[in-house]
Amino acid sequence: MAILELEKVSYAYDSKKVIVLDNLDYTFENGKIYAITGRSGAGKTTLLSLLSGLTNPTSGKILYKGQDIKKQDKYKYRSNCVGVIFQSFNLLTNLTALENVMLSMDISGKKFTDKKQYALDLLYKVGLTDDEINRHILKLSGGQQQRVAIARALSYNPEIILADEPTGNLDLETQDEIMDIFKMLAHKENRCIILVTHSPDVAKQSDINYQLQPFRKNTPKK
Amino acid sequence: MYVIKNALRNIIRNKGRNILIMIIALVIALSACIALSIRQSAESTRESTLSDMEITANISVDRSKMMKNATSSSSDSSSNKENMKSALQNTKDLSIDELEKYAKCKSVKDFYYTQSASLDASGSLEAVDTSSNTDSSSSSSDSSSSKSSSSDSKNSTDNNGNTPPDMQGNNGGQGGPEMKGGMGSQGDFTVIGYSSESAMTDFIDGTSKITDGSMFDINSSDKKCLISSELATLNSLEVGDTIKLQNPNDEDETITFTISGIYTKSDSSSSSENMMGFNASNDPANQIYTSYKCLSSIITKSEKNASTSTDSTTGMKMSSAIRGQVNGTYVFSSVDDYNSFQKEAKKAGLSSDYTIQSQDLTEYENSLVPLENLSSFAGWFLLIVLIIGAIILIVFNMFNIRNRKYEIGVLTAIGMKKWKVALQFLTETFIVTFVAIILGAIIGACTSVPITNALLENQVTSSQTQQTQVEQNFGRGSDTQNNNSNSSDNNSSQDNKPSDNGQDKGNPPSGGFMGQASNYISSVSSATDLMVVLELILLGLGLTIVSSLTSVIFVMRYEPLKILSQRD
Repeated sequence: MAILELEKVSYAYDSKKVIVLDNLDYTFENGKIYAITGRSGAGKTTLLSLLSGLTNPTSGKILYKGQDIKKQDKYKYRSNCVGVIFQSFNLLTNLTALENVMLSMDISGKKFTDKKQYALDLLYKVGLTDDEINRHILKLSGGQQQRVAIARALSYNPEIILADEPTGNLDLETQDEIMDIFKMLAHKENRCIILVTHSPDVAKQSDINYQLQPFRKNTPKK
Repeated sequence: MYVIKNALRNIIRNKGRNILIMIIALVIALSACIALSIRQSAESTRESTLSDMEITANISVDRSKMMKNATSSSSDSSSNKENMKSALQNTKDLSIDELEKYAKCKSVKDFYYTQSASLDASGSLEAVDTSSNTDSSSSSSDSSSSKSSSSDSKNSTDNNGNTPPDMQGNNGGQGGPEMKGGMGSQGDFTVIGYSSESAMTDFIDGTSKITDGSMFDINSSDKKCLISSELATLNSLEVGDTIKLQNPNDEDETITFTISGIYTKSDSSSSSENMMGFNASNDPANQIYTSYKCLSSIITKSEKNASTSTDSTTGMKMSSAIRGQVNGTYVFSSVDDYNSFQKEAKKAGLSSDYTIQSQDLTEYENSLVPLENLSSFAGWFLLIVLIIGAIILIVFNMFNIRNRKYEIGVLTAIGMKKWKVALQFLTETFIVTFVAIILGAIIGACTSVPITNALLENQVTSSQTQQTQVEQNFGRGSDTQNNNSNSSDNNSSQDNKPSDNGQDKGNPPSGGFMGQASNYISSVSSATDLMVVLELILLGLGLTIVSSLTSVIFVMRYEPLKILSQRD
């Protein structure tokens, strides 16, 4: 069953003059890794913003478990149902890795038996050491920050993970490690993983690939 | 709740910024605390003193109102004057019966009255007369004619001087009968009859003291009296001797008093100086005290025997009887009673031509002037501090929020509700300012009393300097300076008992313009109390909310995607 569906979704900037996405019909299911590829400016990040509920489509519907997310509490959707790994990670820089993860657990409002232990386990799972876990974000490398961002996205146990260029600035070895994590999440934990990427390698490793055609055009001025 | 936990953590994480905010808030809180304390102490000093203060009041003719009525009823200027004259002539002081009627009001704690009459010396008796020492021998014989003119022209001043302090409030009323009687003569002596010993305020507050002999029986109509030691010395009189006085309008009518005691008045020297000796009877040394019953019987008898004549020019009736002025004093145990008496008396039928005035209250209010000045200054100061403080905090919060824009973006992007983010920011500001307020209140409580007193001292000094300046402009510099320094000395010696100030130091009886130098309250004992702390917390709360409101508005306006994409 589709957990997330796009129904004729279009998106345009500047009061509908610049069309970015046009009439998309995509379906996302649990247990699979989806890759969204396309050239720069094809609207990949915009699609991710739409899927994560940070913005609304100009027309069409996005359905989460059959319900239009426009009509749902977007904050609850973001904090509970979907885990987002942003391109620039968007971690709070004055907090440690552990604090960042625990903060999003707090925000989700979900109950955990041992919050700290849960967060620690997650961070170990993505491959961080004890020392790194208690470091401030700015003192971590890009790859380490990436892992913290993944751990944060997983912390409240969402069914959907959205990742924007999750391997963009990582070396091949690390890239594979991260991809292994995603595979594990999709295939073993039955989550829906949606990766926005322009790496053909990542696209190859995913189960389904949606290719976005560049559709940015100006509607004729009246 | 994690919002509060986060807020606390953030405060610790951003020590530098929060210490800065705390210092700003501390300065505001401290200034506000002191300003509030000053206002509070002014209020409490006023209330505590008034609550243990006995208030005395007199009923008098409201002359200014009468004049106004007379003027307003006609447009013609010449008839105006006529109207005024007749209005003044038609009103008279209330009789003793009327005064007693109002004394029955519930609010009145005590009522006493005095009657004063002006009498001339008869026979060998000589009045103490500092103004005309050179020919004092003749003053007694021809004083009636020579002094009547001066007394007529200077009615109000004279009366002010020759009455004991409890009657001073009656300036307006005393003019009434004088005007009516018009042509009566002023004698050398003022005989004052008291209804009760509580009316003899000079003896109660210790200004006057019987040094020889004893007090007359207040309830008897025997012609016994107290005379001043100056008068006794001048005329070599002793207790048991008799003195002979005569009706200034009728030389044949004489009254003989037996001296039951001799009193001294501690401040008589200064007051006689002040009066400049327009008239001998103004001199406190020429005041003869007796019982009301005694004086009243003399006047009644005199009225019976008096002849009346009609003045051809004014058409007014003139009586040769001794004229007595009745003066009633009502005592109230509190200001509230005094205020309710105002209403009760009106209800009981007191016409609107009369006013009820309290000299004590006026004096007391005068003594509060520096404190109230300071209090209103503190009010303005508080307002300015709050406005400037609010602006600083708002600007600071605005910068703060702009710096933390990214944080807001991230928090909302991962699903934290905007109002929770706003609440977290508000909590941070609130905790910081609250700590500052508590610190400010503690420091303020320790320093507000000395600061208030120091400021108050400045105020008192400046009030005194101003008054001295005024006096000097009138050419009375040296005199007043003495007065001032005396009274301020008194004040400082009573520093710890502000509640006594208002009562104990009535102006010198002959005060007039100069005597009212400055019995200012110059210190307070407590300033910061629970009320101030509560007010301070409320103000702090208000200030925090106002200054955080900007950040709340910013948080609400920010769209997470915009912030984050800007950063990308």
